[in-house]
Order: sequence, then C-alpha cells, then structure tokens
Amino acid sequence: MSSLKRYFAVRSAQTVVMLFLVLTALFVLFRSMPGDFTTQMAAAGANEAALARIREQWGLNEPLYVQYFEYIKNLLRGDLGQSPVYRVDVWEFVKLRMFNTFILVAPAMTFTYLFGSVVGTIAGSKRGGLLERIGIVPVITTGSFPAFFTSIVLIVVFADWFNLFPTSGMLSATSATGLEWWEPYLSWDFAHHYVLPFTAVFLRYLFIPSLIMRTSVVEVMGQDHTEYHRLTGISPTKRLRHVAKHASLPVITIYPVSLARALGGVVLIETVFNWPGIGFTLVEAVLGRDYPVVQFVFFIVATFVILSNFVVDLVYGVIDPRIRIDD
Amino acid sequence: MSAPLLEIEDLTVQYRTNQGMLTAVSGASFTIERGEFFGLAGESGSGKSTLAKAIIGGLDDNGEVTSGTLRYRGEEIQDLAETELNERLRWKEISWIPQSSMNSLDPLQRVSEQAAEIGRTHTDLSDEAIREKLKEMFDVVGLQQSRIDDYPHQFSGGMQQRAIIALALFLEPSLVIADEPTTALDVIMQDQIFKYLDRTKTSTDTSLLLITHDISVIFESCDSVAIMHASQVTERGSAQAVHDNPRHPYAFMFKEAFPDIREPKRELEVIDGYPPELMGDVDICSFADRCPWAVDECRQSAPSLDPVGDDDATHAAACVRADEAYELYEAEGTDPDGTGRTIAPEEDD
Repeated sequence: MSSLKRYFAVRSAQTVVMLFLVLTALFVLFRSMPGDFTTQMAAAGANEAALARIREQWGLNEPLYVQYFEYIKNLLRGDLGQSPVYRVDVWEFVKLRMFNTFILVAPAMTFTYLFGSVVGTIAGSKRGGLLERIGIVPVITTGSFPAFFTSIVLIVVFADWFNLFPTSGMLSATSATGLEWWEPYLSWDFAHHYVLPFTAVFLRYLFIPSLIMRTSVVEVMGQDHTEYHRLTGISPTKRLRHVAKHASLPVITIYPVSLARALGGVVLIETVFNWPGIGFTLVEAVLGRDYPVVQFVFFIVATFVILSNFVVDLVYGVIDPRIRIDD
Repeated sequence: MSAPLLEIEDLTVQYRTNQGMLTAVSGASFTIERGEFFGLAGESGSGKSTLAKAIIGGLDDNGEVTSGTLRYRGEEIQDLAETELNERLRWKEISWIPQSSMNSLDPLQRVSEQAAEIGRTHTDLSDEAIREKLKEMFDVVGLQQSRIDDYPHQFSGGMQQRAIIALALFLEPSLVIADEPTTALDVIMQDQIFKYLDRTKTSTDTSLLLITHDISVIFESCDSVAIMHASQVTERGSAQAVHDNPRHPYAFMFKEAFPDIREPKRELEVIDGYPPELMGDVDICSFADRCPWAVDECRQSAPSLDPVGDDDATHAAACVRADEAYELYEAEGTDPDGTGRTIAPEEDD
C-alpha cells in the first residue's frame, strides 16, 4: 500500500472514532444539565402525574446507560427521534434550517478565503508596496466591526438608502408555493436576498485569510528555497506559485476551523437579516432541553469540524509530502 | 585570445541600511579563466558571499553594485535586469551551490520536478532528456539514480548537498559558484564533495568559484585564489604563488591560522581584533587596525592591488609594505616592537 493510501486509511479510521466520541460526549453533557424538557411544562403549570407519564413515555426514567444504548441503536438505524417539544421528526425540523445556514456560510467563507489569499499574496509579495500599506487597512477595519454592526450598515446603505436589496428574510413572502424544496434556492428572489448577508460574512471574516496569508508569504519569501528558486532563473510567475503553495498551508489549516466557527458565529448576522438558519433553532432547543434536536445539531456541527479537518489533512497529504505517515 | 570567462574589475557592492551605505565589497578585481577552479577565501562577513551573489544577480533588495564592472565572456552583466539574467545567465551559464543546502531544495517538490522546472525554463530538452541528465549527475555525485524522484526530506543532509550539486551541474553550466558548499558537513563528507567537484573538473571544462573560510581547501583543490578581508581583496594569484610566497599580512596570517599536517607542532596564528564594519566608501586598508606592521600610509588611502613581481603575473597584493611584510614576519613574528602588544587598544567611547 502506498504511503498516501495508508495515510488516507489511517485518517479515515481516526475520523470514525472521533465521531463516536463526540456523540457520547454530547449525550452525557446534555443529560447532566439540570432539568429536562418537562421542566418548562411544569413551570407552565402542568400537573405532576401527567409529567411523570410523559417522562415514562419518553424513557427519561430509565438509567442513563439504557437511554444511551437506545439512542445509539436508533441513530445507527438512521432514526434521529422526535422533538418532544415540537412533536415533529428531528430531521424534518432541522434539515432546512441547517441547509439555510450552510448555503449562506459555506460559499461566503470559501469565497472569502480564496479572495483573502489573493489579497494576502499580493500584499506580502510586494513588501512596502501600496497594497500592503493601504490595501490591508479596509480589510482590518471591516473585520474589526462586530458582525451585527456591519450587517446594519449594509442594510441602511444598500437596502434603505439605495434600495438595491431587500432588508431581510431569505425569500419574498409572495414566492410561489408547491415547489420542490430546493427550487426557491435557484430563484432570482433568493439571490436578491442572498447578496447582503453574503457580503456581511465576507467583510466580517476577510481579514483572517488576508493577514495570515500576508505574514506567511513574507516568511516564505525569506526562506532559502525561495532564494534558490530565484537564482535558478525560473520565471517570477512560477516562483510566486511556489511561494503561494508554501504560504497557503497555514491558511488551509485555519479554513475549516474558521468555517466551523462561522457556522455558529453567524447567529448575529442571521438575526439581523432574519435569515432562517440554525442559530435561532439551537438557542431555542437548548433553553427547552430539547435533547434530540440539540444533540443532533451539535453533532452535525461537530461532524462538520471533524470532517473538514479530515479533508484538510487529506489536502495537506497531497500538497506536502512531509506530512504523510511513513511506512 | 578570447575574453576570459569572468572578469571582475574594481567592483564595489553596498547595502542600504538605516545607518547609511554599508560597503560589503570594495574595489575587488580578479579574473576567472575557462576551466579554472578559483577559490575566494576570507573570514565571515568579509564580503565573499556578497561578491558571489553580485555575479549571479542575487543580491538582496537593499544591495547594489555601486561601481565597477562584471564581465562575463567580455560582456558587462552588472546592470542586467532580472528577466535578462533569467534568460541568458542563470543556470544555463552560471549555476549556484548555496550555503544552506539543507534548506534550499523546495520541500514540496521532488528533486526531479525541480530539475524539470529548471530544465524546461532554460533548454528545449524533453522531460525525458532532463531526467537522463539528472540521473547522470546523480551518478557523478554518488547518489542512486533511482532516487531522483525523492523529496528532499527523504535525503540525509549530505545527500541533499549532493543533490544540490547535481542540480548545479546537470545543465552543464560554464561557471559554478559554490558558496561554502561543505559548511554543514563532516570532514569525510567534505572530502567526498570535493572529490565529486574535482571529477567534474576532469570531465568538463566547467569553471568553479569556490567560496570558503577554509583556505586549506582552496590550496588543495583550486588553481587560483583571492583572499578577502572586510570588503577588500587583499591578495590574489595562483594558489601555488599565494601559498609559497604570500605578501599581504592578512593573507599569510590567515594561512598560518590553519593547521598543517606537515607541521603538527607549529603554533597556529591568531589574528587579533575583528574586521571593521565599513560605512560609506572605504579609503583605508581595512586590515590596518589588526595589522602588526601597519604604518600611517595604510590609513590614508585604500592600497591598490599591485603585482608583486614574481613568476606568476596574476599574483598581486594590496599592501603598501608588500615587499617587506613577509620577511618581517619571518624574522620577528607578529610582535615587531617587542612590546608584546601590537594592536592599537580599542578606544573607549
């Protein structure tokens, strides 16, 4: 088996183990929070006998390990359970909200990282140049504002003053009904609503890849192999490509972490833009002790972090031969 | 007779610093003939690496050739733009063996990939032909041909050094500049490297500019030598002439500072003090403050590199007392006045 294949195999196995550990930790964590979902009902004045019946019905009286094995068993069958609060299937409940967040954050962050890498490379490769001295300032400025502030400014300027984009929401209320679930996402109406939140995410996070890439490029430019490349007389374009390849390693490392943080971190942007994403769902579910929903949403976020790290490791393995696990 | 391969004439290289122009090379002159192995010696900071980098256009951004000429095959090259250097000179004509071979190979490229990139840039050879050439050179430097597809981290330090040498030689340049090619290596490896370099000397008519602080290496493997001290070439000539008949105090003291296997009991020479840091134009002998035989004249102008008038026409020394210094040293050692201390004590600020 080649070292690259072996590396993929080992990392895949590690990923599966990690996911299982995350599941377990989440389960224990939320069960050890005080109260359960009946607490709110009790506060609302439900009688104790009825609540006991509900607990019985949902298996909350069973010992923790029984609940745990039941949970894992169902999960392996693909059964995520029901939300005891909303009495709907968890999957049905969260899938569209998750998708809404994802379709906003993933493209926005990916674009931000690609764009920021280019900004950083240009700024770093011309030390003391105009772009390094001036171009990086707006990037840092917009990155320094709180996300809700940037969002509000965008709404005031582009939605209110210039009236170019809608102020909030993901689709207009007048959108046609009876479509397949994915059809609205391909509409102009959606794109129209998409521009401002996308821009807000972009402005909020652009400084991260720009600054990291700039520092990294400056560092790589000073390394011996860069000077050697120069003296071998290969073209400046090829040289810059080598520099960018080296310099992109830290950016690639931080990308999934940043993406995962943004998935949770766009709560403010979602709120200001009234974007029907996962942030609000999660807050509600935690407050209501809605175990199945909370566990699943957190599990998905954790899965995403782990999988994106996994993908990064694979990309690393392809880019940098030194990372591969040796035979 | 056609022009020599490389002529360096009155070359001055300066770096812009916050304190002003720092002179790294001042009025250096020497010539490298085709097929000649030329050694450039001097202690750290004497300007030898700067001089070598100036030849291949590799000075740092704040460094520039401020006067003098570099002629390659008769053509002035000191003002060539980066693109011209790339197209005409680098690697096709002049290649480079860097000081830090361990970090100079791109860790993300196989050696063969790096060679292919260089080869495609400078020649019309097919990728297959480039691989063949690299394999040949791997053979010459004692690496297995099958390892051209390895990444640098799969090599040991000595093997990386040899891979770097193979890369410097595989396009058959006319001049190879080797900047302390053996600094990081143990003596056995050093010896082997020079054996490989010697092998190229007999098999091609490649010239070598060898930069080192180890003058014994130069006397062993070079035809000619120039010795630098704090930006100035103090003495140059055939290795034989400089070895047997050194004239500049720095040259013979430097030489005597190295042990000689034929004279195991001889005390090694110690040169007191440090080379000065030179801001602006250098108009003194930079060795004057360390020289036991310095006279006022040494500090009035930079001595010119004049022929010493022995059998070797290229043998020249930049010392106003070149005619008598070595005799004085032979007769009295480095303590001519008998005061026990010949170096001017450092002044307190």
